[in-house]
Amino acid sequence: MVLSSSAEGRPVLEMAHVAKSFGGVRALVDASLTLYAGEAHALLGENGAGKSTLLKTLAGVHKADAGDITLKGKAFVQGSTKDSIEQGIAVIYQEPSLFPDLTLAENVFIGRQLTSNGLVDWAAMERESRELFSRLGVTLDPHQKARGISIADQQIVEIAKALSTDASVIVMDEPTAALSSKEVERLFTVVRNLREQGSAVVFVSHRLDEVFALCDRMTVMRDGSTVGSALIPETSETEVVRLMVGREVSELFPKLPPKIGDVVLEVKNLSLEGQFSDISFEVRAGEIFALAGLVGSGRSEVIRAIFGIDRYDSGSVILNGNALPAGKPAASMAAGVALVPEDRRQQGLFMASSVARNVAVTLLKKLSSWILLRKKREEETAGQWAETLQLKFASLADPVERLSGGNQQKVVLSKWLATEPRVLIVDEPTRGIDVGTKSEVHRLLSQKAQQGMAVVMVSSELPEVLGMADRIFVMREGTHMGTLDRDEADPEKIITLATGGVVTR
Amino acid sequence: MSTMKNLFRAREMPVFLALVLVVAIAGIANPAFLSAAGAIDILLGVAIVAILAVGQTFVIVMRHIDLSVGSLIGFTSFLIGDLYAQGYGLWGGLAAALGVGLIVGAANGFLVAYLKLPSLVVTLGALYIVRGIFNDYAFGRTITAAMVPPEVAWIGLNRLGGIPYLFLIGLSLVIVSGLVMRRVRAARDLYAIGSNPAAAELAGIPVARRVFGAFVLNGAITGLAGAVMLGRFNAANANSGIALELIVIAACVVGGVTIAGGSGSVWGAFLGAILLQAITRTIGALGIPQFWQQAFNGGLIILAIAFDKYLNSRVKTTTIMGSHND
Repeated sequence: MVLSSSAEGRPVLEMAHVAKSFGGVRALVDASLTLYAGEAHALLGENGAGKSTLLKTLAGVHKADAGDITLKGKAFVQGSTKDSIEQGIAVIYQEPSLFPDLTLAENVFIGRQLTSNGLVDWAAMERESRELFSRLGVTLDPHQKARGISIADQQIVEIAKALSTDASVIVMDEPTAALSSKEVERLFTVVRNLREQGSAVVFVSHRLDEVFALCDRMTVMRDGSTVGSALIPETSETEVVRLMVGREVSELFPKLPPKIGDVVLEVKNLSLEGQFSDISFEVRAGEIFALAGLVGSGRSEVIRAIFGIDRYDSGSVILNGNALPAGKPAASMAAGVALVPEDRRQQGLFMASSVARNVAVTLLKKLSSWILLRKKREEETAGQWAETLQLKFASLADPVERLSGGNQQKVVLSKWLATEPRVLIVDEPTRGIDVGTKSEVHRLLSQKAQQGMAVVMVSSELPEVLGMADRIFVMREGTHMGTLDRDEADPEKIITLATGGVVTR
Repeated sequence: MSTMKNLFRAREMPVFLALVLVVAIAGIANPAFLSAAGAIDILLGVAIVAILAVGQTFVIVMRHIDLSVGSLIGFTSFLIGDLYAQGYGLWGGLAAALGVGLIVGAANGFLVAYLKLPSLVVTLGALYIVRGIFNDYAFGRTITAAMVPPEVAWIGLNRLGGIPYLFLIGLSLVIVSGLVMRRVRAARDLYAIGSNPAAAELAGIPVARRVFGAFVLNGAITGLAGAVMLGRFNAANANSGIALELIVIAACVVGGVTIAGGSGSVWGAFLGAILLQAITRTIGALGIPQFWQQAFNGGLIILAIAFDKYLNSRVKTTTIMGSHND
């Protein structure tokens, strides 16, 4: 798609051919973004497409390895958040970044507090922030501490901060993800005002309906590169989805023909207020069952509830005809359920412990005699798994933190596979690992399924879902949007369900 | 009017009320406690802790801690007397005390701010290193009254309008620092850093420089406070200042300087220091055995933390309920 040239005047910001790598991972390959004053510009792409990295480059958190960035006709000075702020960039992050112990007034002016005679002028800051809040159409008390205010109000404070710096570019990273519909409306009004006052607003959202309602122009990224840019009136949701998905589902994933058996896991009408509601599905032995949806759609929360990490308000989880008690991970494990969490550093591994200890930790009972852990048995078991998984490490005694991300993920997997579960739940099994290891993980999951394990997989990567899953359960904002069989599933259908559209079969 | 309202809403208010209560109880039980002599006793005893609590407040609001102050103040108080006895004069001793304070502060600050090592461990190490060097330097010697610079001894003994000079030194430091903490940008950054370290980086605050600066400042204050300690006791030895850092941190915590960073004031820490001292004296005045004093102070620390937790949870629940109205 060709960059449209119908916008008025010179662009306020031009990011051209920006590249950025972290270690060996190329987060940005060839990313470009052009912004005009007075426009709301949607930045779109699947999870991991590079949107956040691009925006963090603009924010001064990262420094690009290559590419040109021009702001208001001048070369943009990169690499420090302070420089970015001073050049007129304001970023409102997905994670709130206010200071809970400071007043709203000071939050607005933090780092640039108003002074008179060299001393902080509290009265002036309170006066000005009150003015900014009322310009934004909200009544917030500048004297109040930021602790505990709603996410919507936190965003308003951040926007007030942006206004107070006279920012020419205001970036909002998924601002609507945690807002109610009323709050979204209020935010839209604010964005429209900002646009009228001549700011360029970058709006990142996964909700296409919002993008089409609010934005003037959009840029789509995929795999670290910009793949298209267009005026909103000249494009369509179908076109955008096609650009976002783009790539073909490759043959990377050696899916073995499934041998589907009896129902192993039954989830009935599971609900947890504010997280998910009325979730029901069945998973059979030998089946790979994918939970698809956007980040924040409630998939991880559902599996956490199934495994018993979190409680649920109503519904039931049944394993082989017996109900699993709610909120008891130990009982789930004993019954034959294993969960490989998404955030392996935080939840899945003891980073400073050895590879052997990590693999064996779920087997402590089996490997112990009387109360002492048999170190030799621990190493034997770990060694077997290391071989099966083709783990790459110097010694079983190495601390896990020294392994690559892919190998860490394999350690987490082996740890749980070693318990020989009937149901294996994996959350984002291949996030952040290289392509080679990815297909090894896929091969392993596929093998285990063929041997009769039921696999429940949460994944944000469409090719993975399409390549691996026998059935795909799509969620959006905590509710079930539809289930697709392997044969009928395609990227467009999944994205459409996940973003709230209706699938025409 | 709003000043009055703010005064009563302030975090320092409960500490102040507790102090009034303690003094009242002690005064009723033992009227001698309320006498000028009793009050002066408290003020004298509080000066050192109050000064160190000011420096410590700069560090704690950043969500850090400095355990090395007890060793450091002991060392510099010895140093000032020793250098005076060797003929370097008062100013030579003060310069050396300041120098040692700056070096220890800078070493702590460098390791914490730039190498990102946890301050608890770094300053715990510094506590032992400084004490070790101090022991080696003192090598069984003691500083006697004859070795104390006369100006220092005079300040330790005399009063202005009935109030000990040592207390006035502490009070003026509190007044100046209170203003700085409230009205100087760099000091406001310390609160931001402690309140949300990640956000502080994103807001363009020079986090490492500020953390380094606060440790250096605390080192300098502690180094110079060696003179106050020497004036107070008119003597020093290799054990001077042992475990003082714990009393200082206790004063901060009791005074509402939260260990989790981001909130509290030097005035709170100052009141906390006075409160702990007053309780110590009260226990004496009530005829309760002295060893109960430490248990009391310990209970007070836990009470202070529980109180902060309660305040924060109350803020949260009110707004959570408020946000369910869509």
